[in-house]
Amino acid sequence: MSDYVLELKAITKEFPGVKALDNVHFNLKAGEIHALMGENGAGKSTFIKVITGVHLPNKGDVYLNGEKVVFHNPKEATKVGIAAIYQHVTNYPDLSVTENIFMGHEKIKKSTRKIQWKEMHADAKALLESLGSDLNPKTEMGSLSVAKQQIVEIAKALSANAKIIIMDEPTAALTHRESEELYKITERLRDEGVAIIFISHRFEDMYRLADRVTVLRDSQYIGTWDVDGISNDKLVVAMVGREIKQLFPEKQVLIDEELLRVEKLGQAGMFKDISFTLHKGEILGITGLVGAGRSELCQALFGIEPYDEGAVYFEGEKVTIKTPADAVNLGIGYLPEDRQTQSLILQWSISQNITLSSLDKISHKGWLNNQEERKMSKTLAEQVGVKTNSIFNLASSLSGGNQQKVAVAKLLTKDLKVLIFDEPTKGVDIGARSSIYQIMIDLASEGYGIIMISSEMPEVIGLSDRIAVMCEGRITRFLDKDQATQEAILEAAMSKQTSKSQVV
Amino acid sequence: MSTRTINNVQNFSWKRFMLQWEWMLIALIIIIFIVNSSISPYFLNFTSISDATMTFLDKAFIVFPMVMIMIMREIDISVGSTVALASVVMATTFNAGLPMELAIVVCLLVGALCGFFNGFLLVKYRELSAVIVTLSTMILYRGIAYMILEDQSSGGFPSWFSYFGWGYIGPIPFILLLFVILAIGFALLLHKTVFGRQVYAIGSNTTASRFSGVKVDRIKLIVFTLAGVMAAITAIFLTARMGSTRPNVANMYELDVIAMVALGGISTAGGKGKMLGAILAVFVIGYLQYGLGLINIPAQMLLIVIGVLLIASVTVTNLRVKGKFKTSSKSDSKEKVS
Repeated sequence: MSDYVLELKAITKEFPGVKALDNVHFNLKAGEIHALMGENGAGKSTFIKVITGVHLPNKGDVYLNGEKVVFHNPKEATKVGIAAIYQHVTNYPDLSVTENIFMGHEKIKKSTRKIQWKEMHADAKALLESLGSDLNPKTEMGSLSVAKQQIVEIAKALSANAKIIIMDEPTAALTHRESEELYKITERLRDEGVAIIFISHRFEDMYRLADRVTVLRDSQYIGTWDVDGISNDKLVVAMVGREIKQLFPEKQVLIDEELLRVEKLGQAGMFKDISFTLHKGEILGITGLVGAGRSELCQALFGIEPYDEGAVYFEGEKVTIKTPADAVNLGIGYLPEDRQTQSLILQWSISQNITLSSLDKISHKGWLNNQEERKMSKTLAEQVGVKTNSIFNLASSLSGGNQQKVAVAKLLTKDLKVLIFDEPTKGVDIGARSSIYQIMIDLASEGYGIIMISSEMPEVIGLSDRIAVMCEGRITRFLDKDQATQEAILEAAMSKQTSKSQVV
Repeated sequence: MSTRTINNVQNFSWKRFMLQWEWMLIALIIIIFIVNSSISPYFLNFTSISDATMTFLDKAFIVFPMVMIMIMREIDISVGSTVALASVVMATTFNAGLPMELAIVVCLLVGALCGFFNGFLLVKYRELSAVIVTLSTMILYRGIAYMILEDQSSGGFPSWFSYFGWGYIGPIPFILLLFVILAIGFALLLHKTVFGRQVYAIGSNTTASRFSGVKVDRIKLIVFTLAGVMAAITAIFLTARMGSTRPNVANMYELDVIAMVALGGISTAGGKGKMLGAILAVFVIGYLQYGLGLINIPAQMLLIVIGVLLIASVTVTNLRVKGKFKTSSKSDSKEKVS
């Protein structure tokens, strides 16, 4: 019998064009909480999917209690007691708690093939009680808070006799108090002998809970340490790597006259009382936790969901922005958070994607000019450095980073002055990331004013001239470049986290 | 920032040129002509073939805007009812004393209004599906037509009006000439203009189009209104050919039109297909109908043939779309403060 309930050796997983996991090792003991850490795009999600049978690794072996296993699909993994609880809770909101818990393994009376509702409700209640929750199992799932839904998900895992539970960013959408509750449940499970893989970006989660920590970076295995035996600094270096210093190009831009001023902007239920100014050549970082209202604010500035109070001044003049076309006409451009659904048409060529937002520039009286289109898209694709051999290649053939460059090129077709970048490096590998940073710095030095929304702490600190931290729909603090530290940002981002009211 | 050069010249590729659904349709038309003329000596008779063309071309005007609607991943099943309502209103206003020229204008206005109303509902209530909205207006428009004429027929048009139905310009039927002119116009609009490019954009990715500043709502309104106008033109030709109208005219026209568009290679998934394909499909179905009628093959047989053709075209065109879709699977798409 092996010491480990789960062991993964030299796992490599390749997707067309990308190596998502490269020779990754991992082991898990019974009754331990093992933190898995790494930046976005480090390969954590892919790694989890290998464990849960969603992806079959190209190389490497998985051992369960010392025996080699191969999972061809998630069902096989569930069968041997592996369960995963995701940040974006995946459940059936219109069904009851009981139905959610027993989904896929309902209790059925053998002789009559009838569902045994009474037994299931009783079992669900007992399971929830064992987790310290007094939820009524007949409640509709969708009416519960995220935190309660997560408890139901845990109960579901236990009802399927899970011996290994993977929690993917469970605390990301929870308040402080709710997180504390989740910690207690997690510890109780550990004491009962369940092995837990805990993925989180919050250092506090890891220090509070984990026994050991494994770090992934750029699809590679960096190392495994006892939590007590590794310092915070060392861990950051392990996660971010040495590249961090070179990643952010030196920005020496004179911040010029005011471009955009926002006064007491508000949108019901989303954000309130937002005031800031943006200058020529400035990069303003906006950060905060999930649901803090950052994207909503910027989408309001771009006219996607109009704001309902406050005023926006563009180059000193009061303006109204009701549609994206209004914003673009003023000179405000927006790089959406999700390039695949909000920015690009994947089945179109790079060229057609670049020109979509400014067809008036490549047309005469409404008639398209192919010559002009090819010229314009070639120039811009080269300017942002898209790695491709022809502008006629489909956008879907590009890697995430290069797709993002095409999305940026789209913005450069117009005479814009303010650019809003919403999570510009989400799902972008480190190489393309640094060139996107370079592009942003170059644009700032050309005189653009840039608003960058980001959840990536190093990126916010490394690029912004000023940082606005949002929490529950309000800006809680402005930080200048020299004041910006991880701690200061986190403190401002969570300053209201203890209060119960939450902006949805 | 980068000195890498990117190619912007697209080489002509025979393979890409030949791998177009339109060739398939052209081949079908040729086969229909060869088979039919070898079976029936009457098939290639000029008079009868141009009479047949006049008969099936009236509904074909609706094919043009329907191509755009389906490229935008929408549908309009109210067009048949719009034809009936426009026709009934035209006949009624004429018989109430309006000059025929004005009655025709009223007919076009009614069509435009019906189409605009469809578009308005869809744009105003984005969560509604086009099938439900236009199903409702399909019933509504037909209902109004019945209310006006109460299952009576109405006619007695001036003799010049029948020119729309049976007129020739030289050796060419007037309706065919107008069809060709409109076909060229719509093909240019869809394939060579900013408007057409944006129609494709909306069908390929509505959200991205909106974020790119495409006026999605306005374009949808225009295209749906165009569908109404084309339905009114159909109403004029149909009424002129029949000499009178009833509230139940143009029954099931919407399905014929959608079948033509689908056979033309316009994918129901949106964003794919060409005007030329749908135009060719009009003739495929039209001459198939004509030929099978000549050799006394029952109408049910025709339905079977068209059904099989449709299944073939829908599978082929949707497979093509699928093959081009690729989603990257590497993304660690969590949002949070690190």
